Amino acid sequence: MSTSYTQPPSHDEDSQFKMAADNLPTEFDVVILGTGLAESVIAAACSRVGQRVLHIDRRNYYAGNWASFTFNGLLAWIEDYKQEQPRDADSDGSWREKLEEGEEPLLLGALGTAISNLQVFRYASEEPEEEEVATPVATPTPEGPSTSVEEPLAQSQSAATEETDTGSEAPPTTDTQSEATPTEESESQSQDTPLESQTHEDPEQQVQREEPQEDQTTSNEGDSAPSEPTPPVETKKRKITYSKILKEGRRFNIDLVSKLLYSRGSLVDLLIKSNVSRYAEFKNVSRILTYRNGKVEQVPCSRADVFGSKQLTVVEKRMLMKFLTFCLDYEQHPEEYLDFTERSFWEFLQTKKLTENLQHFILHSIAMVKPGARTGDGLRATQHFLRSLGRYGNTPFLFPLYGMGEIPQCFCRMCAVFGGIYCLRHSVQCLVLDKESGRCKAVIDTCGQRISCSHFVVEEGYIREEQRRNVTYRQISRAVLITDRSLLPSESEQQVSLVTVPPQDGGPTVLVVELCSSSMTCMPGTHLVHLTCPSSGTAQEDLAPLVSRLFTEAPSAEEEEDKEEEGEVDSEKPTLLWAMYFNMRDSSAVDRSSYSLPSNVYPCPGPDPALGTDHAITLAEAVFQQLLPDEEFCPPAPNPEDIVYDGEGRQGEGAGFGEPVQPEREPEGESEGKEEQKAESEQDTEGAQMSVAVESPPPAPPAEE
Amino acid sequence: MNAWSNEREIIINPGISPVFVRMSMEDYDHLFKIVLIGNAGVGKTCLVRRFTQGLFPPGQGATIGVDFMIKTVEINGEKVKLQIWDTAGQERFRSITQSYYRSANALILTYDITCEDSFRCLPEWLREIEQYANSKVVTVLVGNKIDLTERREVLRERAEEFAEAQSMLYLETSAKESDNVEKLFLDLACKLIREAKQNSLVNSVSSPMPGEGKTISYLNCCS
Repeated sequence: MSTSYTQPPSHDEDSQFKMAADNLPTEFDVVILGTGLAESVIAAACSRVGQRVLHIDRRNYYAGNWASFTFNGLLAWIEDYKQEQPRDADSDGSWREKLEEGEEPLLLGALGTAISNLQVFRYASEEPEEEEVATPVATPTPEGPSTSVEEPLAQSQSAATEETDTGSEAPPTTDTQSEATPTEESESQSQDTPLESQTHEDPEQQVQREEPQEDQTTSNEGDSAPSEPTPPVETKKRKITYSKILKEGRRFNIDLVSKLLYSRGSLVDLLIKSNVSRYAEFKNVSRILTYRNGKVEQVPCSRADVFGSKQLTVVEKRMLMKFLTFCLDYEQHPEEYLDFTERSFWEFLQTKKLTENLQHFILHSIAMVKPGARTGDGLRATQHFLRSLGRYGNTPFLFPLYGMGEIPQCFCRMCAVFGGIYCLRHSVQCLVLDKESGRCKAVIDTCGQRISCSHFVVEEGYIREEQRRNVTYRQISRAVLITDRSLLPSESEQQVSLVTVPPQDGGPTVLVVELCSSSMTCMPGTHLVHLTCPSSGTAQEDLAPLVSRLFTEAPSAEEEEDKEEEGEVDSEKPTLLWAMYFNMRDSSAVDRSSYSLPSNVYPCPGPDPALGTDHAITLAEAVFQQLLPDEEFCPPAPNPEDIVYDGEGRQGEGAGFGEPVQPEREPEGESEGKEEQKAESEQDTEGAQMSVAVESPPPAPPAEE
Repeated sequence: MNAWSNEREIIINPGISPVFVRMSMEDYDHLFKIVLIGNAGVGKTCLVRRFTQGLFPPGQGATIGVDFMIKTVEINGEKVKLQIWDTAGQERFRSITQSYYRSANALILTYDITCEDSFRCLPEWLREIEQYANSKVVTVLVGNKIDLTERREVLRERAEEFAEAQSMLYLETSAKESDNVEKLFLDLACKLIREAKQNSLVNSVSSPMPGEGKTISYLNCCS
C-alpha cells in the first residue's frame, strides 16, 4: 500500500512522521477531493461564506490535470505516469471497521486514468555547452517507444505536402536510442534513465493497465539530484542543449492544459469580484496569428491592428471594420442576419462582401468556430471576442504569469485564508452512505480516519467504473514543444501569441499558444508552445503533422554539414528542442445524471478543449448554487489595506544586517488604491502598447468612411 | 460595481524590469513582499502580528480572512511598505501552494528553538524555496521563542552554522517579548533596499533580462 501512495521526493521521513502525528479534524461541512480549477473555485467559494472546508488531493502537487510543472517536475510526472499501476482504490480495507449500522460504503477509484498515449521526443543535442562547437552526435533523439513510432508520423507525410525535404518527421527508430548516453555525470542517473525507457501506448488502452513495472528508484530523483557542474554560461552561443534545459528546468512552468483568459470572460470577472486576482499576475496575449497557405501571419483584430496592417488593402480594412462594428451589437440589427439563423456562419460571411482573406480571419481567428457553426453562434463568438478586446490590451486574452496552473492555486489560497484545511498526498478510500437516505454522510480517508461532511465534491477521475457506466468520454490531443524561436519573429522576442490553425484535410482546428520567457513559463532563449485540439486519434496522430509543418527538428550532425555545404539553412522555421504528446480525457460534456452517485456528491469534470475557462467556472458556480443556494458566490475578500492596524509608537531596534538604520514609524490608513494607481501608472510608462488599464472602445469604423 | 475601478484589479506584468519607475502619487518609495514559511506552530503569525500590530496573541490560531499584513516604515528617509504574507495554515500538512512563493522579495524561514523537529525540517523548506521562489530572493533564518530559553533544543551555534552554510541571514527572536522582531523586519527592509538599488544600477547598465530578477511589476520600485 505504501508504495502506491505516492510520496513526493522532497519529503523525508521526518515530515511523514509529522504528518501521521497531526491528524485531520474529523468534522467538515464540505470535503473536496481534487484541486483542479472547478474544485478549487468551489472550495474558495464555500470557505468564503463560512463553510468548513477540507480540500485534499492524492497527488503531491496542486491543480490535478490543470497543473503546471517545472521541466524536471514534468519529467517526474512522466515517470509517474509510466509507473502508475492498476489499483482499485486507495483502500486498505480499514474502512470496514469504521462503518456503523445502517451505513454502506461507496468506494472511490484509482486516480490517473485521464492521460494516455504519452510520447516524449528529445531533439536538443546532448553535449555539454563547452563542446558545443564539436559536431553533435546522433540527433534528433527520439525518446520514444521502442516500437513503431514512425507509424503515426508517417501518416503525417500525406498531410505535410510542402517542403518535407528532410523526412525528419519520422524520428529515427530505436537504433539511435543507445545514444542516450549521459553527457553529464550527475544527470545521467536522474534524467536519462527514465526517459530511455519510454514505452509506446496504444490509443485505446488505458495506460496504467498495461504499464510494465519499472524500477522504482528512477522516479523521484529529479529533486534529489546533486547540483550539476555548471559550465560557464556563454551568451555568444545561442544553441540550447538538453543539459541546459535540464539545468534551467525550474524556469519552465509547463501547463498540462493550455488555456487563455478572455478579458471579459467569467474567470476574469470572478478573479476581480473575489479579489483572488491579487494572487496572480497576468500578461497580455500580444498577438493573434493564423496559419494559412503554409505561412504564419498576424491577424488584425484591434482597431490599431487593422489600421496598421500591411496585408490588408484599404478596401479590406474598411470592410473588416464595418463588419466587426456590426458584430459588436449585432442584436440591434436582426435584419442583417435573421435569414441566416438556420444556416452556417460561413455562408453568412460569404454574403457580407468580405474577401476570402477576411472571411478566413473572422471565421478561424476571431469567432474561432467550426466552419459548420450556425450564424448565431458565430456572431456571439465574434462579439465575445470583440468585447474582450481592448480591456487590457490589443488582444482579448490574458495569460497568467507562471502558467495556468497558478489559477487553481490562487483559489486554494483564498480558501485557506478563510479557514479551509489543505492536505496534498491524501485521499479518500470510500464514502459512507446512509442506507436510508442514500446520502453521503462521511468519508473515510487514506489513514482510515472517518471524517463527517454534508457535501462531497470530487474530481471526476476518482469515481469508479461502477458509478460511471453510462459515461462516454471524448479526448483532447495535446502537444507541448520547446522551441528556439518564435513562429513569427518580430522586433520583440517577448510575445505571447495565439495561433489558430484552421482545419487541414478534415482535421480539427488546432489552437496553438506560443509563450515567451517573460511569461515565466520557459527559459530565456526558448519558447514554449502548446497545441490543443479535440482528438480524432492519438495526440501524435492529430498534431505531429502540423508540428512538422510549423517547426524543424534540430538537424543531425551530418545534415548540418550538408546544409552548410549547400548554403541551405532552414531559417524560416523554429527548431524543436523537445516535444511531448499526450491525450487527456475530456469529461466536460458528461452530464451529471450519467453518474450514479448520491445527491450530495458532486463530480467535477476535467478540462475541456476550448480556449477559455468558462466551462469550469460555470460548473463551479452551478455546484456551489446546489450546495448553498442562499449564499453569494465568491463575494469580495476584505482588502488587507483596510485592516491595517496603527499601533503605538515604539523605538527601532538598531542595526541592520551590517548597516545601521534609523527606522521610524509611518502613519497608516491613506494607502488604499495606491497600489492600483501605481500599477496603472507603471503601465503608462510602457507606452501605448501596455496601457492596459484603459477601457477603450472596441474597434470603431475607420475615420475615412 | 464600478467598471473603472475594476479595471485596475488585474495586475498586468509589462514584461520588462521596471527600473527607476517612480510614481508621483504613491505614499512609499519601496514596496516589498515578505513571505513567512516554516513548520506549523513555530510562531510565524505571532511574529507578523507583533511587528504589524504590536500584539502578542497567545494561543491564537490563524486569523480568518486576513491575507497579508501591511506596515510602512521609514528607513533613512525612505518610506518602505512591507507586505507580509502568512501561510494561511497550508503548512500544517505540507501543502503550500507554489504560487505563494512567487514574486516574494524576501522569505523568513522560521523554526522554534524549543523544537528540534522544526529545525530538522529546514532542509525540506529550503528545497521548496529553491524550486519555487525567485532565485534572488533574500532568505532569513529565524529561531523564534527565545523567551523559552530553559526549553531550548536547538543551540544557537548550530543554527548559525546551518544558516551560514546556506548563505542565509540568521536571527533569534521572541514574538512574545518582542525581542528582535522589529530588528528582523527592519534589517530585512534595509537589505532589500540595498539590493533593489544595486539591481537597478545593474539594470541600467546592461539591458534587463526578461523574466529575470525581481521584475514583478507592482512590487518593485526603486528610486
